[in-house]
Amino acid sequence: MDLIKTENLDKTYSDNGVPVEALKDINLSFERGEFTVIAGPSGSGKTTLLNVIGALDKPTNGKIFLEGSDITIKKRKELSALRLNKFGFVFQAYNLIPVLSAIENIEFSMMLLGIPESERRSKALSLLDELEIKDLAYKRPNEMSGGQQQRVAVARAIVNDPEIVFADEPTANLDSVTGGKLLDLMEKMNRDKNITFIFSSHDNQVIERAKRLILLRDGKLDLK
Amino acid sequence: MLIKIAWRNIWRNKRRSIIVLSSVIVGIVAAICMDALQNGMLYQMLFNQINLSTSHIQIHKNGFIDNKIVQNTIPDNNAAEQAAIENEHVSFYSKRVITFGLISSANNSSGIFLFGVDPELEKNVSIIISSVVKGKYFETGIREVLIGTTLSEKLQVDIGDKIVCMANMKDGSIGSDVFRVIGIFRSPDSEYNKAYIYVPITDAQNMLELGAEYHELAIITKDYHFAPQAADEIESKLGERFEVLSYDEVLPLLVMQLDMYKEMIYVINFIIGLALIFGIINAMLMAVYERTQEIGVLMAIGMKNGKIVNMIVLEAFLIGLLGTIIGVVLGWVLYKGVLINGIDLSSFAESLDSFGIGAILYPKLSMENLISLLLTIPLISIIGAFYPAYRAVKLQPVTAIRHV
Repeated sequence: MDLIKTENLDKTYSDNGVPVEALKDINLSFERGEFTVIAGPSGSGKTTLLNVIGALDKPTNGKIFLEGSDITIKKRKELSALRLNKFGFVFQAYNLIPVLSAIENIEFSMMLLGIPESERRSKALSLLDELEIKDLAYKRPNEMSGGQQQRVAVARAIVNDPEIVFADEPTANLDSVTGGKLLDLMEKMNRDKNITFIFSSHDNQVIERAKRLILLRDGKLDLK
Repeated sequence: MLIKIAWRNIWRNKRRSIIVLSSVIVGIVAAICMDALQNGMLYQMLFNQINLSTSHIQIHKNGFIDNKIVQNTIPDNNAAEQAAIENEHVSFYSKRVITFGLISSANNSSGIFLFGVDPELEKNVSIIISSVVKGKYFETGIREVLIGTTLSEKLQVDIGDKIVCMANMKDGSIGSDVFRVIGIFRSPDSEYNKAYIYVPITDAQNMLELGAEYHELAIITKDYHFAPQAADEIESKLGERFEVLSYDEVLPLLVMQLDMYKEMIYVINFIIGLALIFGIINAMLMAVYERTQEIGVLMAIGMKNGKIVNMIVLEAFLIGLLGTIIGVVLGWVLYKGVLINGIDLSSFAESLDSFGIGAILYPKLSMENLISLLLTIPLISIIGAFYPAYRAVKLQPVTAIRHV
């Protein structure tokens, strides 16, 4: 069974009253363990597609099935639980919680799942160790570089053992060396833990590493 | 962890948090000062009345309180005194002759309340001895009179001058006697200064031909809170020929005013809280606005609405609680350091005396109010956070994350 499948997905925004078709008739499916990049020029709808599949946004039309279950009909509360249990997110701007240290940012997701504090701490520490950023454990985001913050963001995204990690332009704010290292890390997580990664990016470095590439143009799949 | 986040969030915008905290602190300190002043004023009025003449318990012949005629003397002195002595709550008592009369000097005359008191026993029961501002308290106990400052001015008499006092005797005829002014008192109640005179009880009894009879046994208990209970106990012992009244029955309006104020303070605290709530709403709305993107991320990683509400409400609660604690401590320090020593309101003495308060006001802090503030303001802070929290959970994750 497909991990995720979309059927006739449309998304139309209203831009100051003017309807903008961001996604048109998207039919896609993703298997477990994919390392897929959704690529395309600016405004092609990459981030919108990622947000809609990641249950951050609702499609205007169409359906999204996660392990056979239609998530477009789920309520807000159910979608929160879905994102918490099944999905992980890595954002372009890292978006760590600024008042929490690296380890607390990672623990936060586990806290939402109700995992006891001692278990949270040891799991977060071992993850930081695995990601080679253990020395940053007690630093706040403003004391870390962009690359370091993004590593912590990756740790936060995978700490609850999600089915899929959605990464929206994760290397866009990083230099190529740091971005490369981050991708190495994500590849390792995909390989070792069989976590599915779906990226949106127009960074060649990311695109080159894709096991599967999906091209978007003007909100439509570019099948050429 | 939510508490940790809420606490740290407070200090992200220090200036704003300090302004909100300051408004809470000022509100709390103002509430404490206002309560201490008002409470002090009411208790001062009550205690001044108790200490001037009401005492904690009064024993009379049944019906005396409504009909203060000279014939209404206590039916059995020994029984009354024995009942007082035997009650475990009673500390002191004093016998009093009470009647209305006329006082005349060479220059003027005036209607008066005459109190015949035992010079020694009265010292333990009333503050009249400490209210003497000129001359002295009873010395020989023979035909001496203490009069108020206003009355002395009206009669144009001074220490050593003679006055004549007239009143109805027990048989209905008019009795009179001459007294020498031994002391002039100034009490915290202007009525006493105008119209009360104190003479030795034996002189009063002689003048009114009462023999050993008297009208009132004034009692002071170990604590005024015991008075109603002790009054009931004495009354049940003495039977129907007597009336035994505790201060709250003699001064019902004053006690009612105090009880009403104790209820009112919750309303006042609520109004203060209401004024503070808008500051908290404003600060939390700004905080939610500034952290829109962050709230979007929290939603994205699966934080449920309930927890987002908790986080925002906790932040407001902590501001309210911190402000309240600091305010209570500051209020307490201000009370203990400054207010408790009394506030000299001599400039308003005349009007304060007419309310029986006195020129120096001694504020009195109530624990009930402190507890009420400690509960009300943090609770109101929570209420104030609900609207901003509602705004936060109404955000769509994707639009919130895009917010700049």
